[in-house]
Amino acid sequence: MIVLSDIVVTFSKGTPLEATALRGIDLIVPAGQFLTVIGSNGAGKSTALNVIAGLIKPTSGRVVIDGLDVTAWPIHKRAQLISRVFQDPKMGTCEDMTILENFALARGRTKPRGFSFAIDGGIRNEAAERLEPLKLGLETRLDDKVGLLSGGQRQAISLLMATTGQTRVLLLDEHTAALDPKIRETVLEWTRSIVLEFKLTTVMVTHSMAQALQYGDRTLMFHRGRIVFDVSGEERRSMSVVDLLNLFKRDQGEDLSDDALLLD
Amino acid sequence: MVVMSLYEFLGTIEIGLVFGIVALGAFLSFRVLGFPDLTVEGSFPLGAAVVATLIVGWGWDPWGATLAAAGAGFGAGIATAYLNVRFNILHILAGILLAISLYSINLRIMDGPNKPLLGARTIFSVFEGWKTPAYMLSPILILIVVVVIKIALDLFLSTGIGMGMRAAGANPAMAAANGIDVGRMKLLGIGLANALTAFAGALFAQIYGAADAYMGIGVIIVGLASVIVGMTILPSRTIWQATLACLIGALLYRFAVALALNAGFLGLKASDVQLVTALLVAVTLIVQSSGSGMGRLLRKIGSR
Repeated sequence: MIVLSDIVVTFSKGTPLEATALRGIDLIVPAGQFLTVIGSNGAGKSTALNVIAGLIKPTSGRVVIDGLDVTAWPIHKRAQLISRVFQDPKMGTCEDMTILENFALARGRTKPRGFSFAIDGGIRNEAAERLEPLKLGLETRLDDKVGLLSGGQRQAISLLMATTGQTRVLLLDEHTAALDPKIRETVLEWTRSIVLEFKLTTVMVTHSMAQALQYGDRTLMFHRGRIVFDVSGEERRSMSVVDLLNLFKRDQGEDLSDDALLLD
Repeated sequence: MVVMSLYEFLGTIEIGLVFGIVALGAFLSFRVLGFPDLTVEGSFPLGAAVVATLIVGWGWDPWGATLAAAGAGFGAGIATAYLNVRFNILHILAGILLAISLYSINLRIMDGPNKPLLGARTIFSVFEGWKTPAYMLSPILILIVVVVIKIALDLFLSTGIGMGMRAAGANPAMAAANGIDVGRMKLLGIGLANALTAFAGALFAQIYGAADAYMGIGVIIVGLASVIVGMTILPSRTIWQATLACLIGALLYRFAVALALNAGFLGLKASDVQLVTALLVAVTLIVQSSGSGMGRLLRKIGSR
């Protein structure tokens, strides 16, 4: 479970460049919920994700994960509870290391790293077992460097790495935005099945309204540092992108001007 | 034409191997951690100063003194990395700050600009009284030490912590997201790199017969030259190959410099060594990055 209480984030506070990215966000994501988050550029959705992951320290407010107040925890400590897939496929993996070495790194997220060898038979079997269902043939290329793989393949590996070990919270930061449309659907389907399989509390930030409604079981929209609507259940199931736009227009008294939200 | 006598040849191998240890340190800081560390300009003479002072002044066992020198280097590396990690001082500047402070510290340690080790017990004293002359045996001793260090480094970099260190250098954001404390990895890695450099300094002082406050000048570029020359000639896919390439690079670099200085027709003097080194590094980097026919040709040869 993720609890954000009254999160305020102000960048460059006290300077002429002062900008408030989040204006008092209160949010509870119950354990096992798959939340999708949408919003135009600068709405605050990525900032909110970074506050949960620990990349941004909130100016005020608290972050609680599974009952632990993690507000003051550095990123690497939060990683015991949170795993993350980045937007850029290059970010989620180390390209100079082999597929297997990357898996071994990810295993260290929840298992303490020591002076024993990072690669053993256990991790080799585990990596092969998890890669096999993707039908990409990667299980036979465990000793290839990740730099040789395509963006989609790397993102698939990132997703599997993020779900090795005892993961509770999975953060997806527009993780399909940099992929070509063909592989995008595939990666989203893998995401859906992995989240279901491990019953993960998931926050997926996306740029696409259609994607936000199609996946997960609750959708939030950020606008100018606030959550402007929060839909789930029956209401959400019957919703189309047009309904979402109308809802936004009614509440905010303005049209959404960001085309990127409507495309894809 | 005899370019080099056997004595000179073995001496070049010996010094090349010692600088191979410096190259392994440079590999760890520059290549593994992506941290251009200039501390080595001070930690190399630090190792020499510590070993000479402990052996001559305190009557320490030479091996104990050599290990203590490595420990001192570790401390120097930690100090540089701490300035960078904790106070966000630019890595290069942090290294320069440590290097110039170490210049003063080394003068304090030795209580003067140098400390002779002539006649003192060194790690090479075991060969006294052997039939084979020491100049033939000491390169073998150094070779054994260097091989042990190389294997230890290879093994370390394949442990959980070592792999975490590689990730911290290659992709810090990903490393942190996977629970790696990137700052702590820099402290450990830069500490180890300087421990290796100081260890090499301690060996060098025992070969050379003295520690000198000025012996650190250009060490950084020698270490880097070895890494670059080695990696260019032997492109490596694994850590095991990369560290081997560093050692071979250090040897080749030493021979290149020795030959350049020996070739009378070039008119070079021993004091030109730094200039020759800088030129060698610059030419290697230019060849690596240029799309010229020469560059392509050399890369082709290199990748074979």
